[in-house]
Amino acid sequence: MTSPVLAAPRPVREPARDEGSGGWSAGFSVAIDESEPVFAGHYPDFPIFPGVCVMECVRRAAEAAKPPESGELRLAAVESSRFLAAVRPGDELAIELSWSPRGEGWRCSARVATGRGQAASVRLRYRREAEA
Amino acid sequence: MITCEGVRAALPHRYPMLLVDRVVEMGNEGIRAVKAVTLNEPWYARLGPQATRGDLAYPDFLLIESWTQTAGILAKRLAGEAADGQVMLFGSMSGIEFHRQVFPGDTVEQHARLERAVNDTMIFEGDSRVGGEPVLTIGRITMAFRPGERLNPAHAGPAAG
Repeated sequence: MTSPVLAAPRPVREPARDEGSGGWSAGFSVAIDESEPVFAGHYPDFPIFPGVCVMECVRRAAEAAKPPESGELRLAAVESSRFLAAVRPGDELAIELSWSPRGEGWRCSARVATGRGQAASVRLRYRREAEA
Repeated sequence: MITCEGVRAALPHRYPMLLVDRVVEMGNEGIRAVKAVTLNEPWYARLGPQATRGDLAYPDFLLIESWTQTAGILAKRLAGEAADGQVMLFGSMSGIEFHRQVFPGDTVEQHARLERAVNDTMIFEGDSRVGGEPVLTIGRITMAFRPGERLNPAHAGPAAG
């Protein structure tokens, strides 16, 4: 799938396993440049990075740090997302991810902050892709 | 019922983020709109000569954006004059399930229903369908109108999508 966001998440904290829960956590940073194409239309003269694009950054970070034992995963659901503050051109998103096993699949919970504080929280659910 | 020029007048979104083509039906409690997906979507511009089918799947989260814009057209109508000069933002969502991917050539029909309204916040639910089959289920999305100045970093409001 192609992405509406140009910026790629940059790892700032390598995935680490939490022995207690069997989950994994990792940290990423995404620089939201004013040249992101979505700003032209969201909104003209009033650029706000769309909430769905914040979710897209989380998704790309999550998929760059999949638990090694998870196998092929496919996004099944957005369990929840909350948007707390606007993200603007020039912001640097700090994304803290945590993957946890959930039934047959995995859940990835993320907290997203800018330099001004927390901006969003996102919870994605992935299901294991059937072996071909 | 609302043609493309009416959609463009109702929403502040512009290219490449205006993701509703036409409203087919709108009442006080629900709205149905269409978004046609084509090979000319701007997101495909950077694909090389060997794009796979997977590369051409329409971005999942833009399907949510298109659905939300559909709900936003109804929200604006229900808010009436109270929405003048305000920016519509979504504050939260939950229970969004993806059933299958959408591809160029698909016409997505967005179905949004008002679940309830509390003060200046509206809660919508519904689904997205292609050829009558559900591709996306929306458990709930909350939306609110906020004055533009509230979005100033110094006065960050509770909703910001």
